Amino acid sequence: MTQVRFCRFAASAIAALLVFAPLPARAQDKIIKIGALLPMSGPGSYFGAQDRQGIELALDEIKSGVAGYKFDVRYEDSSCAPLPATQAAKRLLDQYKPDVVIGEECSDATLAIMPLMEQAKVPLLNAGSSSIRITEPGNPWTFRIMPNEVMQGVDIATHAFQRLDARAAVLLYENTNAGIGNAKVFNETFTKLGGRILADIGFGRDINDFTAIATRVAAVGKIDVIPTYTLEGQGLKITQALALAGITKGGGGQAIQLGTIWLPFGFEQKAGKAALGYIRIVQFDPTDPRARVRRFIDTFKAKYKQDPTHLHAHAYDQIALIADTVNRGARDAQSIRDTLAATRTFSGVTGSVAFDRTNQNEKTDTIHYMETLPDLSWRALKWN
Amino acid sequence: MTVILQQGVNGVVLGSLYVLVALGLTLVYGVLVQINFAHADIVTLGAFSAYFLMHGLSGGAGGGYAAGIVVALVVGGVLGWVMNAAVFAPLRGRRSELLPLIATIGVSVTLENAMLALFGPIPYAFDSPFSGDVIRFGGTYITVQSALIIAVSVMTIGLLYAFLRFTFLGKALRAVAQNRDAAALMGIDPDRQVMLTFVIASALAGMAGAMLGPVLVLTPFAGTSVIVKAFAIVIIGGFGNIDGTILAGLLVGLIESYTTQYLGPGMIDIVVFALLLTMLAVRPTGLIAEKREENV
Repeated sequence: MTQVRFCRFAASAIAALLVFAPLPARAQDKIIKIGALLPMSGPGSYFGAQDRQGIELALDEIKSGVAGYKFDVRYEDSSCAPLPATQAAKRLLDQYKPDVVIGEECSDATLAIMPLMEQAKVPLLNAGSSSIRITEPGNPWTFRIMPNEVMQGVDIATHAFQRLDARAAVLLYENTNAGIGNAKVFNETFTKLGGRILADIGFGRDINDFTAIATRVAAVGKIDVIPTYTLEGQGLKITQALALAGITKGGGGQAIQLGTIWLPFGFEQKAGKAALGYIRIVQFDPTDPRARVRRFIDTFKAKYKQDPTHLHAHAYDQIALIADTVNRGARDAQSIRDTLAATRTFSGVTGSVAFDRTNQNEKTDTIHYMETLPDLSWRALKWN
Repeated sequence: MTVILQQGVNGVVLGSLYVLVALGLTLVYGVLVQINFAHADIVTLGAFSAYFLMHGLSGGAGGGYAAGIVVALVVGGVLGWVMNAAVFAPLRGRRSELLPLIATIGVSVTLENAMLALFGPIPYAFDSPFSGDVIRFGGTYITVQSALIIAVSVMTIGLLYAFLRFTFLGKALRAVAQNRDAAALMGIDPDRQVMLTFVIASALAGMAGAMLGPVLVLTPFAGTSVIVKAFAIVIIGGFGNIDGTILAGLLVGLIESYTTQYLGPGMIDIVVFALLLTMLAVRPTGLIAEKREENV
């Protein structure tokens, strides 16, 4: 008898489970799944480490949900390179089935994953790749909030010519889509304005000792500016080698190194006095007085006990923008894409976002200039 | 003329740097006929050991570099001993050439990811007390750190030669390299000599890491960026031949410098690896012909 009762109880329990099981499943359906393709290994892994902190902070702030939707993120290591990026993207699309994907940081990797996202009809929100090919001629599923290489290159070349009176430049860049593209735009703009490119030097990511390159640069004559496009590690070594060769201000020379959005804050402390006078674009101005920026900095410091960099900031903005689309009614991949495309007035901590017909953010208030001072602190240059 | 001289100096520095890394590789190959893919990671660990010791001693003020080099050497040696005892020796017992080779790849990936977990991916600024000091002569210059790399390379080569030629252990090690079975019959314990080879090669790699740390971009992947060139140097020099390795290291360093000056740094790998392929096709024994009895 006891056994019969137990069997009835068990059968009832199973039936109840079957009946009510869909309820939690429906609750889970109200989740926006965000795939994050970030470089977490290899020379670009400092991007991934900092992006992740920015993402986690943004998630903390929306953990109670937006318009009834919660957010879940799955990270995959895309390694800043095409092959691992495509493998990670396939894994993410097949297994996680995200509503939207953020990443990659490196242009080569982003270019490699774009066709997969288009095929899967999942929007890709990019914040850190500069190659013009990402948004030209336009891809309905790829959006970029950072200024592309043309926007940055034209801006910095024009400022170099007009504000710094630079007339002679040497280009140093890694041989990647982003490196070559950035250098090309600077070259075209600078020469059009009347400047001269004395040397155009591309190199692989496996170069460690930049003394030979510095020797070559030193031999080309008087240089005003040296636009440099590399990841942080090589950037450190180049800056130190140029200073040791007496070329740049940090080594007692006259040339000023210029850079676009590649290097994080803290670069100057690592490079030491060699970085003196370095002028570069960053995507985030920590002196920005807007309440949103002040709050971001305060909460970031409280959570991580460190100052945020532009990498933290743009990753934070990616999640904030996705949350904004959900707040505007987006519910799935297609509607997130459509809502992103209609974005005109989003204001993030890096600046504002309004996508043009190619899904490139057309706002340039995300371009902030900073200059390294003798005490290795920096000052914001109000050039824009 | 100054530029040619300066690039010559740069090439010798770069070559010395490669020789420091390649010596351990060639030593292991000379004795065991085994390629050690984990060598790069021991170089990296050596660099991190020196870096953290320096920061522990002087809070990043640049003191304790000499102690850092010694610690890196010891860490490398201990790691070599552990790797051999725990992984390679048991696999060699199975009489397979492939298993220890694959195991070195496994050890490499494990070490790399362990360092990634421990030290993080963000590049470290490893400045020795000599990184910023420059010696100028005529129109050319060399950093004190680079001069130190050359000096340490020369000293290491000298000590290694002396050890191999004039000490009982060194002679025993060469005997094992020439004929393991005959050496065993003469009362030499081959396994102990193999262990000694791993310890010496790994200690050299650790020390190389400490010397290269201020030159390399210090991340958990630092050693990987030089190891490919080091392998190329070992092949160009004649696998397992120390004289050939030294010659090839300097040659590759000079080729890199002059290629940077006259063709562009983007051409370096093309030139170096074209040389490698040419060597394999024309003189597969390397710059100095491989004779097993003369190696090591």
